[in-house]
Amino acid sequence: MGWYARSLGKRKIFEFIVLLVFVFFFLGPLLNLVLLAFSGKWQYPAMLPQIWSLEWWSFVLTKEEVLSSISLSFGIAAIVTVASILICIPAAYAFARIRFPLSRWFLFSFLLTNAFPKMGLYVSIAVLFYQVGLMNTLLGIVLIHIVNTLMFMTWIPAAAFKSVHQAQEESARDVGAGPFRVFWHITLPMALPGILVASIFTFLSSLDEAQGTFMVGIPDFKTMPLVMYSIVEDYPSTAGAVFSIIMTLPTIILLMGARRFVNADVMSSGFQMK
Amino acid sequence: MNVDKAGLIKMKGKTERTGISSQTKASITGLLMVIPSFALLVFTVIIPISLAVKESFLDTDRAFSLKNYTYLFTDKAMQSNLMFTLNLTLISTALTLLIGYLLAIYLRFNEGRITDWIRKLYYIPMFVPGVIATYGIINMYGNHGWLMRIGNALGFESFPRFIYDYNGLLLANLWFNIPFTTMLLSSALAGIPNSVIESARDVGAGKISIFAKFIVPMTYKTLLVAATFSFMGMIGAFTAPFLIGPNAPQVLGVAMQQSFSIYHEVGIASAMAVFMFLLCSGMGYFYIRSMIKEEPAAR
Repeated sequence: MGWYARSLGKRKIFEFIVLLVFVFFFLGPLLNLVLLAFSGKWQYPAMLPQIWSLEWWSFVLTKEEVLSSISLSFGIAAIVTVASILICIPAAYAFARIRFPLSRWFLFSFLLTNAFPKMGLYVSIAVLFYQVGLMNTLLGIVLIHIVNTLMFMTWIPAAAFKSVHQAQEESARDVGAGPFRVFWHITLPMALPGILVASIFTFLSSLDEAQGTFMVGIPDFKTMPLVMYSIVEDYPSTAGAVFSIIMTLPTIILLMGARRFVNADVMSSGFQMK
Repeated sequence: MNVDKAGLIKMKGKTERTGISSQTKASITGLLMVIPSFALLVFTVIIPISLAVKESFLDTDRAFSLKNYTYLFTDKAMQSNLMFTLNLTLISTALTLLIGYLLAIYLRFNEGRITDWIRKLYYIPMFVPGVIATYGIINMYGNHGWLMRIGNALGFESFPRFIYDYNGLLLANLWFNIPFTTMLLSSALAGIPNSVIESARDVGAGKISIFAKFIVPMTYKTLLVAATFSFMGMIGAFTAPFLIGPNAPQVLGVAMQQSFSIYHEVGIASAMAVFMFLLCSGMGYFYIRSMIKEEPAAR
């Protein structure tokens, strides 16, 4: 081994250690769940399962509660995403392109969604919803999910609109395109990566939301994360692991599909609006 | 003056007839476009926050009092919860920034297959559902978890305690926040042109002086952004502390939930929320100030 290590050089070894620590720390817990999900028997202290099996998959996938939670969660996430786009994109465009009084004040007011502790906010929202009859309604759930997405659904697209060069819009206008044509054919396509990233964030955060749904959606709205809580409590960790994979799958698929757009610059710019 | 063109042109036709200045028209358009999302913010965030602030100043007879706050700062158990939360949040934020910074610098100045892999993979934790990640951490670091199994095979005998302990919460905070910090800083570091670094090297600047003279000044604002959002995310965290935190002392997020749903002490729960809100507002103030300061230069 010694000669091999030396031939690689110190730098390579260092890089390899960085990768190892990185994978262990960040992906270890997830890999562990994958192993668990496909194990039939995994007794301590074995490093890998003794028997591989799919029995928990059929158990989880035949539970009525699980199946209905999947379709409910996806339905809610789709509604939340569309609603957030309709509500936030105009605001994002206005922040990026239009001068109006107090615009900075409005822009930064969305930070409030993150500044107040979520649990406390949900409690207060529940009190308010109770008074106006939004408890245990789909509208109530959609609203509480949008709370989590308001900020980045406004900030990331605003930064994206801002990064579109006005010169390009102007030259389109110079050749006679109307404002809506310019928006549709020039501005929107160029801001699309930002909007797409924000929408993916929104969709996933809605799928992931548990506490708010629990506060305002009990007893009728059992979404995937809520079912996950009860599976964690009532069933062995293998069942939890299987359901974890089912819940994480949409994330992986969406990220792979949008890999071209999901990059550090697009996302970061949303948190540093100038 | 950089009056917006889109607004101008959109309004041109009408403006000429009615005589209202185009800036007024643009202002109205802008406000109309912002109002739907702002109204939603008022209904789902600003009103609930006001309700919670009001609730925190009411005693059990619904009369004004500071009792909830005195309780918060004088009760023994509550004091230890407070110190526990602050300690955990500050240490987690500091470590998140440090590790995130190192990782971002490593990714910026290195090339190769391994770096590419890390670049592709580090996004994943940002998108994994919180419940799932916490569950993974429990199974990995818990008693007889994967860490113990691997450690055993390598011949280790004793392990630090993670689950139901401070260590586990620290670990979860790092897991959830380092990727976001790395992402922000990577983007900031990508903005430093290679030519700047190279020319500094040409005139004989060492690694440390390049770091101090170029990298730090060009990234400290981003560091503040990362600190703000990490701090806000960690201080009121609930999911991970609820599942893997110790029973006593508790983090404030869990203590708040329990005093609300188990003891029905709405006032005390609200006082805790308002206290955390004040700390976050402090961070938010510095964040907004640094963003606004940049504005004149950017325009």
